[in-house]
Amino acid sequence: MPPTSSSNGNASVSRPKELSELIEQEQLPAGREALLEPPVAHSQRERILEAMAKSSAENGFGATTISDICTAAGVSRATFYELFKDKEDCFNAAMELSLADAMGTMIAVYSPDKPWATMVREGTAAFLELLASRPTFARMAMIEAPSSGERAYQLYASGKRVLQALLERGRDDPLEEEAIPSSAARAALSAAESLIVGQILTGNTTRLPELLPDIVYITTVPYLGQEEALRQAREAERERPAADS
Amino acid sequence: MVARSQRERLLDAAVDVIAEKGYRATTVADLTKAAGVSRTTFYELFEDKEACFLVAYDTAADVLARRIAGAFEAQEAWPNRMRAGLTAMLESLAVEPQVARLALVDVGSAGPRAQRRYRAALQRMTPFFDEGRDFAPGGRRLPANTSRMAIGAVTGLVADEIEAGRADRLPALLPEILFATLVPYIGPAAAAREAGEK
Repeated sequence: MPPTSSSNGNASVSRPKELSELIEQEQLPAGREALLEPPVAHSQRERILEAMAKSSAENGFGATTISDICTAAGVSRATFYELFKDKEDCFNAAMELSLADAMGTMIAVYSPDKPWATMVREGTAAFLELLASRPTFARMAMIEAPSSGERAYQLYASGKRVLQALLERGRDDPLEEEAIPSSAARAALSAAESLIVGQILTGNTTRLPELLPDIVYITTVPYLGQEEALRQAREAERERPAADS
Repeated sequence: MVARSQRERLLDAAVDVIAEKGYRATTVADLTKAAGVSRTTFYELFEDKEACFLVAYDTAADVLARRIAGAFEAQEAWPNRMRAGLTAMLESLAVEPQVARLALVDVGSAGPRAQRRYRAALQRMTPFFDEGRDFAPGGRRLPANTSRMAIGAVTGLVADEIEAGRADRLPALLPEILFATLVPYIGPAAAAREAGEK
């Protein structure tokens, strides 16, 4: 099995890591079962995190105040400070929750026996559905997080690295003998990211799943070539539950 | 030697200080101190920190766009046009790493107006990429978002390098950035061949 590499230059491995190992390596929260229906926030902690996500999505992290969060969550300031050190600590906890959902989604579709292209189609579809079902968290995690403090940025970067490692598996069985740059998967991931961020910025996250075929194309074309990538894109579109034919 | 105007000094200061401290941590006092102007003068010239940043950003983006377009237009075949345009971009960013940081990294934390400027600047690159649809055999079948995605790929690779403090190494990344640009239009074999050529 050819060596894989990650963007931060880790030593190559002789076998591809299991998804759970990748998640652990990035020290990310273990994936939890991500229900498409947002769970009802019961506990005070959950209500605070939901209020944080909502406020930072709507107003930006900078403009979000602890007062606003406490009011929205129906808790006292004292309660807030029992649970969180400060605003940033709270944001980071909300971010970790988002990542747990995202990783849980990937774990649900991952199987070492599945063909790589199938995993890309199913994983991308599941990820887009998750973002569409949680617009507040989507905006917080993908728009606000990268510029909301060092820890939030690192969490975001870690999530990207896990996805990148999965996309890099495409080089294990490429169509072409030509040397494909080791940055190809990272570049494709940035391409997908820019489409997703662009859609979230329009405010219409319900249309995120429509990006599926384009994202499948850009992530598979470096390894499978254009004809096969187009075929995978069409296949992904057919697999979408609500797609008009 | 012509003394640069106070406005120019403030704009230069904006680039240098924001590149060093980040947008959020930069204060108007930082800018006036670096530029050697008074606070009063600053507020005569700019409404606030954000306004100063946006002018600095627009200026830098404009210069870069013109250099890219000039290099692009000087070539004939589309892959060569992209190679020339990307080379001009990478070289410009490498010799002015603070501008590179401003244009690609700090803009992310400088508020929604800056982010809209950034995305608009990227959109101006679309026609260069769209030419690939005409160049590529079967270009009509390509996803409608192909150019947007290719631009996203390029900016991702460039931003990663700048954030890692390696803006000076950007020109060495031409092969992989050219590959990422061409691969959605002409496929991996042709893209790898083009990327391998000088």
